[in-house]
Amino acid sequence: MAIVQTKNLSKVYNPDTVPVHALRDVSISIEKGEFTSIVGPSGSGKTTLLNMLGGLDKPSSGSVWVNGKEITSMKESDLIDFRLYNIGFVFQHYNLIPVFTAHENVSFIMLLQNRSKKEIKERADELLEEVGLGDRKNARPVEMSGGQQQRVAVARALASEPKFILADEPTANLDSTSAMNLLDIMSRMNREQNVTFVFSTHDQRVIDRARRVITMVDGAIHKDEYQNVEETKTG
Amino acid sequence: MKIIAAIAWRNIWRNPARSGVLIAAIVAGLWAGISVSSLSNGLIVQRFNNLIEQDLTHLQIHHPHYLAEREPWMVVLNADSIFLFLENDERVRSFAGRVLSDGIIQSPVTSTGVQINGIDIQREPLTTNFHLNLSEGEYLDSNLPNPVIIGERLAQKLQMEIGNRVVLMFQDTGNDLASAAFQIAGLFNTSSRVYDERNVFVRAEHLNDLISADAIVHEIAVILHDAADADSLTAQINHTFDEVKAETWYELSPELRYMSDFGNSVTFYVMVVIMVALAFGILNTMLMAIFERMRELGMMIAIGMSKARVFMLIMLESVMLTLTAAVGGMLLAWLSVRYMQRNGVDLTVFGGDSLLEFGFDPLIFPFILAADYAAVTLLVICTAILASIYPSIKALRLNPGDVIRE
Repeated sequence: MAIVQTKNLSKVYNPDTVPVHALRDVSISIEKGEFTSIVGPSGSGKTTLLNMLGGLDKPSSGSVWVNGKEITSMKESDLIDFRLYNIGFVFQHYNLIPVFTAHENVSFIMLLQNRSKKEIKERADELLEEVGLGDRKNARPVEMSGGQQQRVAVARALASEPKFILADEPTANLDSTSAMNLLDIMSRMNREQNVTFVFSTHDQRVIDRARRVITMVDGAIHKDEYQNVEETKTG
Repeated sequence: MKIIAAIAWRNIWRNPARSGVLIAAIVAGLWAGISVSSLSNGLIVQRFNNLIEQDLTHLQIHHPHYLAEREPWMVVLNADSIFLFLENDERVRSFAGRVLSDGIIQSPVTSTGVQINGIDIQREPLTTNFHLNLSEGEYLDSNLPNPVIIGERLAQKLQMEIGNRVVLMFQDTGNDLASAAFQIAGLFNTSSRVYDERNVFVRAEHLNDLISADAIVHEIAVILHDAADADSLTAQINHTFDEVKAETWYELSPELRYMSDFGNSVTFYVMVVIMVALAFGILNTMLMAIFERMRELGMMIAIGMSKARVFMLIMLESVMLTLTAAVGGMLLAWLSVRYMQRNGVDLTVFGGDSLLEFGFDPLIFPFILAADYAAVTLLVICTAILASIYPSIKALRLNPGDVIRE
């Protein structure tokens, strides 16, 4: 069964004035364990599609199914709850809570899930170790580099044990070394823990590491192809 | 909830300058509001206590028409039965019978109209604290023949001193004019210039002998353990004794009640002005905080924080910020009021002693109840909650997909 699936998904902004067709009849299916990049020029609908997959936006028509559940018809409050347990997010601008330490940022989502203190502490420690920030857990975002902040964001996304992780341009604000380091971490998680990742990206380094590349043009899927990836390790 | 409170608390200190300015404004506002209110209360409570405890008491009993017509023959009938009734009532702290007459005081220099108060020198000091106003000389228990005590200002007007004789002229119960010489035993000084110039005090039995051959009482003043019992006791006396009329302090002196109500409304309006200013301050600060943190709030909603929790976060932030300031403001106000309570605030520097003309003591001792601090705290919390509703709704309307992308 597909982890996430869209059926004839369309999104039109300003339908009554100057209609902008952000998505046109998009149907895709992503299986568990995939490492998928959604690529395309600016305005091609990558972020809109990602928002639809994450339940952050409602389509004009069509539907989105996550783990066999249709999320497009869900009430907003149910959808927020659904996201908490099923979808992980990594944002281009990291979007950590600035008043929290790395450890607290990772713990935050588990606190929202009402997990036990012990479990939260252990999992946050473990995830920060996995992303190579075991020694920076008491640092606040302002005390960390962009790469480190994005690694905390990955740990946070993983903390809720989601069905899949959506990453919107995760390397766009990172230098080359930090970007490759982040990609190493994510592909290792994908390989070793079978975590499903879906990226929107312009970054050729990300595209090169993806096993599936969906190319969008003018809101429609232009190409959907699988590629052989040679695992490399940097940084 | 704990995590929401932790974020809210830390968010307050993200922009220390902005939060600091709001906190300083609230501290200053509350300090000023409480100080002004306590001064206003002090002014009124002092005036209230002066009137009640020096002269008026909690209730008085007269002939039903005495206060309107003030005829000497309008005496309290069955005074002894009433005294017995009052002696046996647990609500009564003390009472005293008074013989009264409107008359003229005459010195070799001038004469002026006064109220002559014949007081029971045993019971009156137990009922009122008027005797504490004696500034010079002796009280009415003096060995002088026919002693009288008069106000210092009246003495100046009459150009009399202690030991001098004055003549009191008045009407007796048969409507004949009577007069007698009295010797000034002492001088008094209250906080009311008018009162001091319009009242003289003699022994009740002396005045009684001059007015009537019978033992008479024109007024019974009653002081209670608890002023709140005035209504019930007054009603009971009026029900039990048909031939007299008992009235509470606020029926006898409606302006005193008006003044008391006015004091409460001053406090209310001062606090309303402060709370409105406070509400705008909170609204401004919280709106700015939300506009600055759109993306962060959007992220929280995106990853699964319910909108109820976001709403709670903004509310808690406002309440915590305001309460922090309120604690500071009230602490400062408490210290200031405490200092002023010990030393008093001398208003003569602002207007001479003109307050005396209106019966107010120019040396004010602020007064505020602990309950008032609790009420202010509650008011501040309510204001903070009300002022943060709009910013909270604004936060709820965020579309995480839009704000994260911006």
